[in-house]
Order: sequence, then structure tokens, then C-alpha cells
Amino acid sequence: MLEHLPILSLITFSPLIGILILLFIPGQKGKAIRWVAIATTILTLLFSAWLYIGFDNSSSGMQFNEEVKFLEIPLNSELIAPPGTASIDYAYEFKYIMGVDGLSLALVFLTAFVSLMAALASVYIKKRWKTFYILFLLLEIGILGVFFARDLILFFIFFEITLIPMFFLIGIWGFNDRERAANKFIIYNGVGSAIMLIAILILINTAGFYYVEGSELVGDILRYTSDTSVITDNLFDPQSIVNLEGTIFHLNDVMKSFIFIMLLIAFGIKLPIFPFHTWMLKVHIEAPPSIVMIHSGLLLKMGAYGLIRFGVILFPEQAKEWAFVLAILGIINILYGAILAFVQNEFRLILAYSSISHMGIVLLGIAAFNEAGMQGAIYQLVSHGLISALMFLIVGSIYERTQTTQLDELGGLAKSIPFISGILLIAGMASLGLPGLSGFISEFLAFVGLFETMPVVTVVGTLGIVLTAVYVLRGVLKITFGSLPVQYTKMNEARLIEAVPMIALVTFILLLGIYPAVLIDPMQETILSIITKMGG
Amino acid sequence: METVFSQIAWLIPLFPLIAFIILIAIGKQGNKWSSYISIGFTLLSFILAFLVLIERLNGTMDAYTWNEFDWLSFGDISIKLGFEINNLNAMMLIVVTLVSLLVNLYSKAYMKDDARITVFFSYISLFTFSMLGLVISVNLLELYIFWELVGVCSFLLIGFWYEKESAKAAAKKAFIVTRIGDVGLFIAILLLFWYMPNHSLDFTDIHNAFSTNSIPIEAWVVTLIAILIFVGAMGKSGQFPLHTWLPDAMEGPTPISALIHAATMVAAGVYLVARTYDIFLASSIAMEVVAYVGGFTAIFAATIAIAQNDFKRILAYSTVSQLGYMMLALGIGAYTAGIFHLFTHAFFKALLFLGAGSVIHALHKQDIREMGGIWKSMKVTSWTFVIGALALSGIPPFSGFWSKEAILTEAYIDNKFLFIIGITAAFFTAFYMTRLFKLAFMGDSRAGNAPKESPFVMTLPLIVLCVLAIIAGFVFTPWTSWLGEWLTGDVVEEHTNWIVMIISIIVALAGIVLGWIMFGEQSKSSQSHNTRNWAYKLLENRYYIDELYHWIIVKPLRGLGLLLNAIDRFIVDGIVKLTANIMLGTGRVGTSVQNGQVQTYGLVTLIGFIIIIAAMLGRRYF
Repeated sequence: MLEHLPILSLITFSPLIGILILLFIPGQKGKAIRWVAIATTILTLLFSAWLYIGFDNSSSGMQFNEEVKFLEIPLNSELIAPPGTASIDYAYEFKYIMGVDGLSLALVFLTAFVSLMAALASVYIKKRWKTFYILFLLLEIGILGVFFARDLILFFIFFEITLIPMFFLIGIWGFNDRERAANKFIIYNGVGSAIMLIAILILINTAGFYYVEGSELVGDILRYTSDTSVITDNLFDPQSIVNLEGTIFHLNDVMKSFIFIMLLIAFGIKLPIFPFHTWMLKVHIEAPPSIVMIHSGLLLKMGAYGLIRFGVILFPEQAKEWAFVLAILGIINILYGAILAFVQNEFRLILAYSSISHMGIVLLGIAAFNEAGMQGAIYQLVSHGLISALMFLIVGSIYERTQTTQLDELGGLAKSIPFISGILLIAGMASLGLPGLSGFISEFLAFVGLFETMPVVTVVGTLGIVLTAVYVLRGVLKITFGSLPVQYTKMNEARLIEAVPMIALVTFILLLGIYPAVLIDPMQETILSIITKMGG
Repeated sequence: METVFSQIAWLIPLFPLIAFIILIAIGKQGNKWSSYISIGFTLLSFILAFLVLIERLNGTMDAYTWNEFDWLSFGDISIKLGFEINNLNAMMLIVVTLVSLLVNLYSKAYMKDDARITVFFSYISLFTFSMLGLVISVNLLELYIFWELVGVCSFLLIGFWYEKESAKAAAKKAFIVTRIGDVGLFIAILLLFWYMPNHSLDFTDIHNAFSTNSIPIEAWVVTLIAILIFVGAMGKSGQFPLHTWLPDAMEGPTPISALIHAATMVAAGVYLVARTYDIFLASSIAMEVVAYVGGFTAIFAATIAIAQNDFKRILAYSTVSQLGYMMLALGIGAYTAGIFHLFTHAFFKALLFLGAGSVIHALHKQDIREMGGIWKSMKVTSWTFVIGALALSGIPPFSGFWSKEAILTEAYIDNKFLFIIGITAAFFTAFYMTRLFKLAFMGDSRAGNAPKESPFVMTLPLIVLCVLAIIAGFVFTPWTSWLGEWLTGDVVEEHTNWIVMIISIIVALAGIVLGWIMFGEQSKSSQSHNTRNWAYKLLENRYYIDELYHWIIVKPLRGLGLLLNAIDRFIVDGIVKLTANIMLGTGRVGTSVQNGQVQTYGLVTLIGFIIIIAAMLGRRYF
């Protein structure tokens, strides 16, 4: 049944239904607006669950493919034709291609789930609900599209769609310095996008074409396309003109390295890789907590996803050459983030640096270039997505009650809000990689994977295990343990709308920690095929 | 022989887990009856563990193993979970379930006024689950999982009275210091994973691979693996230099100190070394490291215990010291003696802690200088405590004598230096226990309130443990080496060594007599005299190890953090801001050039023209 439905588009554009309904609800009806938005995210989650059930775990390729040709632009053949080939017509075609494999599936489900949690957590948004939720749902469309897109330009469009709503969500609903944060966000990500666009254009020009045999009426047509499957085929086919020296389309190793590095920087800004991380600190502090749930939980993952999907899969040789650098960058992220998290006084900054540290694990996993490592990297994306969403859900709840998340102004909350404090403790434990919770599996896999190829680097990385415990406990215990300041003695315990997402997130973190097969089974074949392609 | 009960041994850890889930679910409403749930399920575990033990006593030497659960797979590698019952595990199961049961019972009265009693019992249940899971783990990764879980339970229970700053600090310290050790174990697992055939981490495979030397692995790697495993054990079992957390852990409720920080979890390090013993046997260097670290810890902690004034801290340093004995035994190859000491120590040390709890419960004080006179009013507590103290000091016929004697005999044969260390530590042990007893129990009451004997649910565990502290030693005496055969499967020769036996009795008696004289009736004046002594000061301040760590680890780390923070803010972010400003500046200059005056445009054109010419000429020459 699933085969006959454009399920991927259905998932991606299901938030549009909510947006359309929201347009007709008057702005002051806060409750109705909120519930429409929540219902929409539930709908998306249901579709995603349906996809998860229908997904064929034993297949390594793309499933549920959808392909629609959007437009074709004829190009001036005389200008670009190499001498002697003037009889060919040139055209650029843009296709709407969606597909899902194990890698996408995990992140799509994460997106749908975290979006619902963030929609619930947005109860504390105090103004302009209608605009907020419309932008929120638009953001969700962008993220979902990024994980489904199989066309570079389509990917780019979805990637950009996430920027604009995010800009406004930070700039309008954020804290005091929100406008500067929004500007910083858009400038950094704009630079990243520009670099990505250049890389994409080079790829289309050098690897993205195929011949269409002409009939008697029409001559041969050489089509340029941004379809990733075409580009992949060309890059991996030794006979293709991409690889043939002496043609104008020759994409030599230097060019390949160049594109790989551009992609590394473009996605490295998003991930973020040191030293491109300063923008996300600002976002973590200034954006409203429910938006940080999306930002830290999902948007950062787009960087890692892009790096794997386009950096590693399209340029396995270059990626392998750069594996050591990737591993070192990962180590720097882990240690730098952890040490800086240790000295912060603002809990949200601790979490921001913690994200940098945890993203280092992803880089380590990628750098390993074996099944364990890659699996660990993707597991870490999902695990960290859940954990950071949970963390900022709690931050939102605590801030609502105390009006601060400065460590030196907090303390002893376990007495007045034991439930929220307990959840914070669990989140902390998950973050420091306690076995039984999701973070352990990814750390274990990434370290096991990397140990095979770079044991010394791995050992340095395991220092992060101790340092993470140090800063997590410092932050969490400062907030929940110790004596309770007088002004916080009368606080309300979590409301139902807070407790439900907290419990849901904890449940998933536990599930992934205890029974990893739920996530590993769907992605195993995909990862196997990626690794095999790299000859690893 | 049938293995009926071994097959369902996975239920043993499951019972406390069920208790934990129930208790977490009911929350505060269950304050009145939460203890019954925890006690009931632990009792079920104990009964089953007991049946398993009976079965093992009559059964074969072969272990019962089940590992069929595909837990984590990547590539063509699959890590399985399961459980294993062998004689060592069966013994550990009975120790853990029994002590846990008694502590549960004891806590029912000890914690009855606490508003968070349900939380307390849920944590204890979670701990019992994790500890039992650790014991029956079938492979090293599974053990590591439970290893971390017991660590977390310990952390939660140390910080149970979370409002106290000291409890918070102690909990944090316990977690972080043991985690340093855990990283060692983690790296050892990574090494084993890539070196073992088929990437198997099963204990059976490890045993087969290392006992027959059948895997291609360099000697230094074996040493490295063994030492890294030992680093993990050092963290959990409080061996020097990772011992600092254990005395601080006394911030937790006293029943917890008895269960986790005396009888079970801290012994997990010893258990780990015993479980992976073949790796250690394959490396003589690793064995020596274990022996010397253990020996040093034994004497080091015993000297500190002399100068402490907190009832529980004295016992904590005593635990560290005794764990050092166990490590020493394993390090010199005295496998059975080490395990035997773990076995007897679990009972008499739990007894001592529960006795301490009984005293603290009655007096609401922990400083032994403010106690005294308990002997007259708390008969059961005092008598059981004396027996526990005698067992610890190594006075026959109590259990501690036999196990310590077994270790010392082997040390005497194997390594005279370590024998002297061990015997000296034994002297200190008798000495500090006498001091503790004399100051806390004898003389006139300095507490101000008249202590009353604890209720029956608290004294019952004391009596049971007291009986065990008396009889547990008879399973392995110089004339009955039955335990050794049961544990190792080899015939152990009887090890009667009169010299060692006589020396150790004399030394223990000397310690007691000296302590009795030194801390006589005028103990107060001798105290004030002692405090001026530099050596006493050094001991009282625990050799300033905590301060040292603070200055060489915590402070530099914080300094580095602050430095990097400044760099992050001013340099990393600064470069970005600078770039942005340059862009902005260029834009401004560009804007100002377009001022509508033809002369300016002409000038710009001229400059541009010159640059182009220069560039073209430049290209020709370079």
C-alpha cells in the first residue's frame, strides 16, 4: 500500500496542512493555534512511523523513490560545446527526486519526533503565536526535505528553507540579544551555503550529465542534472568523461579534494567543527528553548548528514585521505568543548559546548571508515538529538520557573521540583554516556570503530569520557543538589504538557540504550554499502 | 548433575529490577510499604541464589552459560548478552543477595523517618539489580554496562541527602574518580575486542585464549590489557591512587556504606581481576603491579585509619586497606585466598558498618571523640561489633583470621617483602580497631544523651552477620582446603604454616594491647598531645592527597578552561568579527567612492588601469 503513495512528499509537506489551517485562525486564539500545530506534528510523526514500519531493512538502496521532472533549461550549445561536438544539444534539467535509505530514515523519524516535542514545549512562547507556529512548521518542512532530497539543488533549496524561519524564530522570540544572534546565525550559515552552492555547481558541471540518444528529428542531447544518482554513477565510473583525462570535463584528484574540502567547510559550519562554532553558542543562549531543541537536536544533524551523504559517499577516496584530519578535528571538538563547558556559568552555554563535544564523536565515527564507526556516528546523531532536545526542554521548564539558568543563582531544585530534577539527572547521565541510555551505544561504537584504524587518537578521545562526566555533573548537581535558595521554595512541579514530552524523550533514550536494534537494523545495510563502496 | 536453578538464574537480578520499577512508579504514596516490596523481591533473589549455590555445591565444575541475545551488531560482528553461572559467581550471588537482604531489612528501621524512603529503596533495588547483573555477566562488555550502573547507584546513594553540600561533593567525586578507572577498563575492552579471535569478549573465550596462549598477541599488549583492566579495578575498589572517593562516600546513609562501600560494589574490582585472571597470569609484570599496588594500599590506608576521628571514615579506610589485601593476594597468585578474603570481609565489614549505623542512629553523632559509654547501654550492638572488630583484626577463630592468614602464608612463601608489608598492615589494623572501640564504646558517655539499643529489625541483621563473621572462615582453613578446590577445580594442598600463624596472632594481639594502653582512660589528654605531632597531622590529613589532586589536577584544568574560554571569546570569535569588520569597511570605502564626481571616477579608473597593467607585467616575470 505504501508503494502507491508518495509517502515521502506526504511526510515532508504534511506540516503545510497545518500552515494552511493556521492561516485561517485569528492570531489571538492562542490555544487553537497551539493545538493545530501540535496536531500537525503528530500527523507528521504518524506518517514517519508508517514509513518506519514499511521500510525494508534488508535493502541498502533508496526506497520509496519519487521523481518528477520540474523544468528543463536549454543551454547555448555553441558557447559551451567542446570543439567537434557541436552537433549535441545541451540542457539543464531540474528534477524533484526524493528517496529514503537507512541513513535518512533514522534522521527523519528523529525530526518528526523532536518537532512534536518542541511543539509541546512551545507553550512558553508568549507572543505572536500564529507567526511562530507557521515559521515552526515551515522549519520542519525544510529539515524533512533535507533528509529526503536526492537532488543536489533540491537539497540546497530545503537547506535554505530552514535558514529563514530559523532567522525569524531567533530574532523575534529570543532573549535580550536575539537580533545579534539571528544576524550571526544567518551570516555564518549564509557563508556555509554559498560555499556549498559553489561545490554543487562544480559537481553539476563536471559530473552531472548524461547523454540522451537523439532520434532522427532531434540530435543527441547532453543533459546536465543535479541528480545524485547520476553524479554518483559518473564519479565512480572509470569510463565516464569525468574521469577521462583530456576532456574538458576532467575532474582530477585535486579538484575532487577541493570539492571535498569545500563540502567539509560548508557542513562543518553547521555541525559545527572548531573553529566555526561561535555562531551556535549565541543561538543556544538567545533562541527560545523550544527552538534550541530543534536547533541543537536537528539542525546540527543536517551538517553531519550532509558531510556523510555528499562528502563521504561521493568522495570516499578523498574522505579517506582526510580521515586523520577528521579524527583530529573530532578530538579537538571533544576536548575543547568539554573543557570549555567545564568553566561556564550559564547552563545553556554548558549545553552548547557539550553539543560541540558530542559532535566530535560523530567526526570520530566518520573518520573510522568502518561499519562500527559509521554506525556510531549516525547513532550519535539520533542519540544526541534526543538528549539535547530533552535538555532544552528542561531548560525551558526551569527558566519559566526561575527566570534564570545561571548556575550561581540556582541550587537545590530537587527539593521543590523533584520530577524535573530527576529528568535532568537522567538527561545528564545520558549525556555522559551511561550504559543503558542511548549515548553509550554511540560512544562505544565510535570508539570501537576508530580504535581499529587509529588507536592512539582513540585513547586521547576517551579522555572525553572523564571530562564529560566532570562538566555534566558540575552543571546538573549545581542546579538540583545543595541547599535551595529561598525564592525557589514555592514552585510548581511539571505540568502535564511538560511531563509528557519529558517522559516520551526519556523513553526513547532508554529504548535506544537498551535495545539498539530498533535503530541499527534499518540502517545496517545502508552503512554496509557505504563502507563497501569505500573499499573499507 | 541437573542445572535447573542455574538455568533460571537470570531471574536473580530481575527480581530487584521489578522492585525498582514498582517503587519508581508508585513514588511518594508508597512511603509506608515500599520497604516491604524491596525486601520481598530481594528475598526472592536470595532464595534463588541459595538454591543455585546448593546446586553448584553438588554439581560439576562446568559453568552454565547462555548467551543468545543479539544485542548490538555492526558489520558481521554481533555482541551478545547472556549470563553465566560458575562457582565463583554462585558465591558472589549469595554474598550480594544476603548482604542486600540484611541491609534492606536494617534500612527499614534506619530510614523510617526519611521523607524519601521510597526513593531510597528504589535506589537500593536498582543497585542490587546492577550488582547481581555484574556478577552473572557473560562477557566483558556486559560486565562494563553493569559496572557503570552500580557506579551510578553508588553516586545516587552517596548523594541521597542531596541538600548537604558535602554529600553533593562526595557523590560527584565518587563518580568522577571511579570514571577515571572506568576509562582504563574501557580501553582494555577496545584492545581485547580487536585482538580476540572473532572479536569475542566472552569470559570463557578470554579464559581459553589466554590460558593456552593460543592467540597471536605481543607480550606487551597482554601486559597493557591487564594493567588497564586493573586500572578499572583500582577505581572501583579504591586502590591507591584512586582511593580518595571511598572515604568521602561515607556521606551516604550508613546502610549504603555497609552494602555498597564495604561488602559488594567495592569488591567488584577484586571480582573483575579474578574474572579475567588468565590475562593477569599471562603477564608477570601486571601481576607484580597488582601485588604491589594492593600491598601499598593495604598499609597506606591502615596508617590513615589510625588518625581519623569519624567513626565511618575509620571503617572506610579499613575497607580500602582490606581491599588492598585482596589485590595483594591476587597479585602474588593466591587466587583462592584473595576471593576467600573478599567473602569473609563482606560479612564482617558489613557487620561493622551496620554496627556503626546502629551507634550513629542512637547518638546522632559520628565523631568518636564525642562518643563513649555505649558498651553499657547497647549490648547487642557492642557485642556484635566486638566480634566484627576481632574478625577484622585477625584474631582466631573468627573468619578474618583465616582469610588474612591464607594471604599472609602465600606471601610468606612467595614474596617476603610483601609479607612484611602485610603483617605490618595487620598490626595497624588491630591498633586502629582497638582505638576505635576504646574511644567509641568504652569509658564514660561524652555524647550527652543516653543511647538506647536499636530495634530488632536493626539488631537482627547484626546478629546474622555476626554469626557469619564467626563461622564463614571455616570453609578454608589450613586444614580444610575445600573452598580452593571448589573455586579453581584444582586440588589445593593444605597450607599449614605455623610460623605465619603465630606471627600474625602475636602481631594482632600486640596491636590490640598497644591500642588499649594508649587510648586508656586518659584518652582525652593523649589526643591533645598527639595532635601536635607532625606525623599525626600528616595521617590526620590523609597524606594531603586530596589537596595534592586539587592543586595538580582540578586547578590546572580550571585554569586551562578559563584560558580557552578567553581564547574562544576574543580570538576565535574575534577573527570572525574582524573579517566582518573588514568587509564592512571595504563596503564603506566603496560607497564613499561613488560620490557622483567625475574626477573621482576617473581616478578610480586610472588606479584600476594601473593595477591591471602591473598584473599583466607581473605575470610575465613571475
